[in-house]
Amino acid sequence: MEMLLMGACLSIFGLAVACLAFGAATRESGEVAAAAPAMQKEAVKAAVAQRLPGPRFFVNPPARPVAAYSNVPIEALLLQIENHVRLEHAAAECFLESPNASLLHSRTISTLVN
Amino acid sequence: MIHADLLEGLEPHESERILALGKRTVLTSAAELFHLGDVAGCIYLVVRGRLRLTLPMRVRNQEENVLVEERSSGQTVGWSALIPPCRFTLTATAALETEVLALPSEALKSYLAAHPATGYAVSLNLSSVIGHRLQLFQAMWLREIQRMVELRCA
Repeated sequence: MEMLLMGACLSIFGLAVACLAFGAATRESGEVAAAAPAMQKEAVKAAVAQRLPGPRFFVNPPARPVAAYSNVPIEALLLQIENHVRLEHAAAECFLESPNASLLHSRTISTLVN
Repeated sequence: MIHADLLEGLEPHESERILALGKRTVLTSAAELFHLGDVAGCIYLVVRGRLRLTLPMRVRNQEENVLVEERSSGQTVGWSALIPPCRFTLTATAALETEVLALPSEALKSYLAAHPATGYAVSLNLSSVIGHRLQLFQAMWLREIQRMVELRCA
């Protein structure tokens, strides 16, 4: 009788453990399925964020020249354009003296584009 | 005696004959030598001073003459006078008191036609002046395109 009761208890315990395990497994897969669209959205957001220009090396990217020059007096703007033309002229002259790709695309210090 | 890029390599007496075809003019500061679109009847050699070559540009809904190039002593300006359709494609203004020698294009063409060796040398010099402008602005244009591409791909 004792052996029978012990066997029944073990069977019930085993059944309970199996039910818990089954329940946990079912709930987990359901949650993953429910979370999948949200995760996809996050992945898309991350990919888009990578492609969009964002802050680099702890500094914000330079503002667009159009916005930056909207408040500059026209005389100052014309002087900047003139200075830019002179610098570009000099850079082009350097390129013509020794034609190579690095001189052609050398950086400018012109305030009009920096 | 004017040392001009257009007369490079010519014998002094040949240069003098060509220079004798021209007329010296002194421009006060900010005076206009020629205007964009004008009929180009003369080619100019800068004797002293500096000329600003400009093109109109819209800046904040205002038309402004923006500097494109500067020419100084010994350099040739207004070669449109020798190239069809013989109209100036820029406006030239004196940056300071400037003296130029105006060579009438018809007189120059007649002289060069009568002296083929001189004509050949002057034509080569003119090609060099035009070619330099072309190469310079080609490089400047490509630099601007490069910046535009970098801005678009940033």
